[in-house]
Amino acid sequence: MGNPKNNIPHESAALHVSGEAVYVDDILVNEQLLVGRVVYSPHAHARIKSFDLSEAKKVPGVYAVLSYKDIPGHNQMGPVVKDEPCLVENEVNCVGQVVFLIAAETEEQCLEAERKIKAGYEALDPILTIEKAIEKNSLMGPPLKIERGDVNTSLKKAPHLIKGELRTGAQEHWYLESQVSLCIPGEGREMYVYSSTQHPSETQALIAELLGIGKHEVVVEVRRMGGAFGGKETQANHTACWTALLCWATKHPVKIRLFRDDDQIMTGKRHRFLSRYEVGFDDEGHLHVANFELNSDGGCATDLSFAIMQRAMLHVDNAYYVPNLRVVGRVWKTNLPSNTAFRGFGGPQGMALIENVIDRIARLLRKDAAEIRFKNFYGLESNNVTHYGETVENNRLFMIYDQLMKSSEYEKRRNAVNEFNAQNEFFKKGLAITPVKFGISFTTSYLNQAGALVLVYKDGTVLVNHGGTEMGQGLHTKIQQIAAAEFGVSLHRVKVNATNTAVVPNTSATAASAGADLNGMAVKNAIDILKGRIAEAFAHIWTEKYSNTPRQKDGGQASLQHSIMFESDEIYDRDHPDRCIGFAEAIPLLHLRQVPLSAAGFYRTPNIGWDKEKGFGKPFYYYAFGMAITEVLLDVLTGQHTILRTDILHDVGDSLNPNIDIGQVEGGYIQGVGWCTTEEIKWDDKGNLLTHSPDTYKIPSVQDIPKDFRVKLLEGVPNPNTIRQSKAVAEPPLMLSLSCWLAIKDAISAVANREFEPEFSLPATNEVIVLSIEKLKRKIAEKAKLEFIEQ
Amino acid sequence: MQSSISFILDGKITSIDFGKAPEIKPTTTILNYLRSLPTHKGTKEGCAEGDCGACTVVVGELGLDNRINYKSVDSCLVFLPMLHGKHLITVENLKTPSHELHPVQQTMVETSGSQCGYCTPGFIMSLFSLYKNKNKPSREEIDDALTGNLCRCTGYRPIIEAAAKSCVHDRLDDFSNLEPITRNLLQSIPKESLRIHTPQQLYLRPASLGEAITLKHQHPDAILVCGATDVALRVTKQHELLKEIIDLSDVSELKQITESDAELRIGAGAFLSDIMPVVLKPFPALHDMLAVFGSQQIRNLATLGGNLDTASPIGDTLPVLIAYNARVILEGVNGRREFPVEDFITGYRTTRRKADEIITTIVLPKLDGRSWVKAYKVSKRKDLDIATLSGCFRLELDNHSAVKMITLAYGGMAERVKRATKTEQFLLGNPWNREAIENAMPLIDSDFTPISDVRGGAEFRRVAAKNLLLKFWSETNGQS
Repeated sequence: MGNPKNNIPHESAALHVSGEAVYVDDILVNEQLLVGRVVYSPHAHARIKSFDLSEAKKVPGVYAVLSYKDIPGHNQMGPVVKDEPCLVENEVNCVGQVVFLIAAETEEQCLEAERKIKAGYEALDPILTIEKAIEKNSLMGPPLKIERGDVNTSLKKAPHLIKGELRTGAQEHWYLESQVSLCIPGEGREMYVYSSTQHPSETQALIAELLGIGKHEVVVEVRRMGGAFGGKETQANHTACWTALLCWATKHPVKIRLFRDDDQIMTGKRHRFLSRYEVGFDDEGHLHVANFELNSDGGCATDLSFAIMQRAMLHVDNAYYVPNLRVVGRVWKTNLPSNTAFRGFGGPQGMALIENVIDRIARLLRKDAAEIRFKNFYGLESNNVTHYGETVENNRLFMIYDQLMKSSEYEKRRNAVNEFNAQNEFFKKGLAITPVKFGISFTTSYLNQAGALVLVYKDGTVLVNHGGTEMGQGLHTKIQQIAAAEFGVSLHRVKVNATNTAVVPNTSATAASAGADLNGMAVKNAIDILKGRIAEAFAHIWTEKYSNTPRQKDGGQASLQHSIMFESDEIYDRDHPDRCIGFAEAIPLLHLRQVPLSAAGFYRTPNIGWDKEKGFGKPFYYYAFGMAITEVLLDVLTGQHTILRTDILHDVGDSLNPNIDIGQVEGGYIQGVGWCTTEEIKWDDKGNLLTHSPDTYKIPSVQDIPKDFRVKLLEGVPNPNTIRQSKAVAEPPLMLSLSCWLAIKDAISAVANREFEPEFSLPATNEVIVLSIEKLKRKIAEKAKLEFIEQ
Repeated sequence: MQSSISFILDGKITSIDFGKAPEIKPTTTILNYLRSLPTHKGTKEGCAEGDCGACTVVVGELGLDNRINYKSVDSCLVFLPMLHGKHLITVENLKTPSHELHPVQQTMVETSGSQCGYCTPGFIMSLFSLYKNKNKPSREEIDDALTGNLCRCTGYRPIIEAAAKSCVHDRLDDFSNLEPITRNLLQSIPKESLRIHTPQQLYLRPASLGEAITLKHQHPDAILVCGATDVALRVTKQHELLKEIIDLSDVSELKQITESDAELRIGAGAFLSDIMPVVLKPFPALHDMLAVFGSQQIRNLATLGGNLDTASPIGDTLPVLIAYNARVILEGVNGRREFPVEDFITGYRTTRRKADEIITTIVLPKLDGRSWVKAYKVSKRKDLDIATLSGCFRLELDNHSAVKMITLAYGGMAERVKRATKTEQFLLGNPWNREAIENAMPLIDSDFTPISDVRGGAEFRRVAAKNLLLKFWSETNGQS
């Protein structure tokens, strides 16, 4: 619920706007800070024949020029599968793979040294497309499969059958702060690392393994990131590892901040997919059967590709019940940078496929796609089990659909759009509604755990440590609110500390939208422990003080631990309201009584489990739901589109902070719109990234947002058994943008009066749109010719 | 001649003597300078090419009316000497001495305009510039002020809201109160030409056209810059050491804009943001093209002279200048030469300008009122994007509604900005109707053989180029 009390600004907002918020690149270092530079492969696939670093090492100001030979521990930084060398030994597998490292006093000296590195490569044949990977059978690992029902028979029996393929493109994260890390050597083998990472524990682990030291000798700290979006879940580790290695070698503080173009060239993206479908349905548009084949471009190393493929397979149903469904996922190995996590984590690719299929079915049956969607929603009582066996509980689809169709005046606007299209040749409008049902939990079930350490100081201030990282999503703000609410104290008493591996160990990545769910619960757990101790202490204190004094008007009963309350910066006995003490006054008393005032908290998500091999189980604790209706105006001649209006209704349970949640929904939608429209990644035939800077890679600007943007949170839907009845936000809203993508398709299709299925792919750039319309025009001309001949 | 520069930073005059500060070069950008200071880490680098705005700062400058003009610029594109005699304002300077947030900062906090916060200082400075230039700006003015700032988190809506809610105090703030002091400080900086000679570089900043022409004669290989929006990338992205530079940004003759009944004369060094209001009425197609030229931060630095001299095959303003029959005036020690823009461009990034010449003026003859001119830009993103292709078309009809004169100038279709001469020839004398247009469209293929590149495929360019012709017809048909 939109409790206005929860609507506090981001905890760092005042620091953001004044430029005082400190990011890794802003940290002042008082000793000789060296500039670190990575030297990467110019070839997509090549064997390193020889190299000579001696001249480079002689450049004045240069402290170190390193190759794999200088690594004291394991030459590895793969997060799951150990297939990513820190520095390449023999064979480079993509342009941008790092081979050498340089540390010098200035960037110019680094550049000078880089020019003096002699390296001989023998170029090998690269695989740069999914098609070629399939042709060469370059699989990253065995295919994954989830199947329910009798797909083959159902395909034969289906009244209508469509087949096709869909391409969805890669997406660059374009966090404003590029990958960055600062390492400061401590005494002995200690290493203090400031990293812009979503996963400090993994960064710590990989550095320790790389240097051959204990994890207890490496501290990783993250105050905040300048954006991440999944791009710093595993691949921030790389920059941190390189920095640590240079720091180790030089015994000096070293910083590496990737230059924007290098970041774009070197780091992985959202996986591009080539998906195929066979779908059977009836005259009414009910889905009978679907056979999906998903192929992703994993890039040159495993990274999180299988988990991402799995999530795509778990979301290929989106909000729809498909009685017979088979989905096979294959991750292909290519000579491009290893693709990685990106907000949605495979979900967008899976959902785009079925949403496009439904759109096509609607066109074939000459029905409105909204109607087909509604007919196929998971049911409340029946038809409510997914293809992987999880029951869709607390289904909000119908509630959201009804409210949004009404508030957006869909029917009326659908007619207006049709009318506009009948009257205009060179401009067409398009309208589409798409739902989102997104599973919340890491599908690798054991990762669903979190730790916290809550410290109460003698002045009554509270310092909260937890394993989650702040990347702009407002996690620390929500944690601060949770802690203040659980302790019953004002916000100003609570501060959330920078994330630090020396305080909370063995954490999971801040990912899968689960940051507040998991860490919020862990913080609550710690506070519950502290409150228990405090209540116990005051039960004693007040009992001692009052129960043996018969003149007390309440009869001098004992205070009981469970009746001690924490509210409005006070601790009081519910049964004896005059027994009350201010929080700040209480804490020093407790200290005198030797009550421990810090506690570690822990949380693991209950009742989930998932058998990857069988493709069956309950991978998700719950689902987040949302829907969007987007209306676009398309310039038929140039392919340029304008989003006229977007209506979104999204479910976040009881919102922890409506402003922050709406910010996540709006931002996610716009980021998705970028993926669906202007963000196109291109490589040349040698594997060089052509779109390596914002000059050629176009994320949405202020001019690209809907002219009329109406975002609301679903009211009155507390989520059972989560932190303060809230739901995760972060990822799900990104996929609301598919409504924009399909509204564009609707407008294209209007050029041919919805008679033909337009050629379509994602992103729908102006080029895709113009060429699709050109083909439709040819079809119209051919049809006219045929009709003329028939006459 | 001076070898050091002075500007206001943090309320006092800061001087840099390049001879004594070897770590700072005359081609060091404001951004890199600021980030080298422990007290100015608020200004961020997002791309080092003027496409993201994270490094936006505001530069205050004394105008002719002795008022201080505030302009947002991308600090990654500005060389330090360009700051000479100006007031550099960064995000750290916006709080009052008693640590109160500026209205644009306070409103951004209230509207949840920041998430990760990395783009925020840049947005704050664009908002500050808007605050100082517009009271109660319209949505279009807000969008325009923020186009040069990318945000990956918020989806912009709360930032737009912050702009609308904060820019309502008639431009008044602490900076207005301090204006007399600031003006005195600015006036105390001697306005002279600069000659910065370091062991590696020679940076010349003449203060008059005569001086500039003499210097160009003496240093024919020197790179000319005015706002450096293009040249700066050679430093920030290619790590090039520019040996000789002549900076024309202080030559007032090059900034003049004069209008007569017959023509508009625009100084080659006039900033695009200053040109826009002047061309709005007489040359609306040029205004349309400038409105989607870069961003406000870029237009506050970029010039027509620079755009012409770059002679890019896409050319931004070039198709428009060709359609308007604009002329270019060059000056050198050997005198003055004048060319139609169409002849001035000779090929892929080549022009008729000789090494010892400077572009001084662009002359736009006024239309007689019977012509239609329309400019179109086809780009992946509507704003702050380089065109895949562009076109500017001019049409005159005779009394029988037949084509009397037509210019079809295209960018992005060949190695240089070029007219579709065969298509033009075909249309001449034909009635201006759908049939004639559809018959003319295939001729675009005989005029151009476009290439496929990162911005678009050849097929797309061919189809879109034809479509633009149809679009032009559809937009002029009703009026004929």
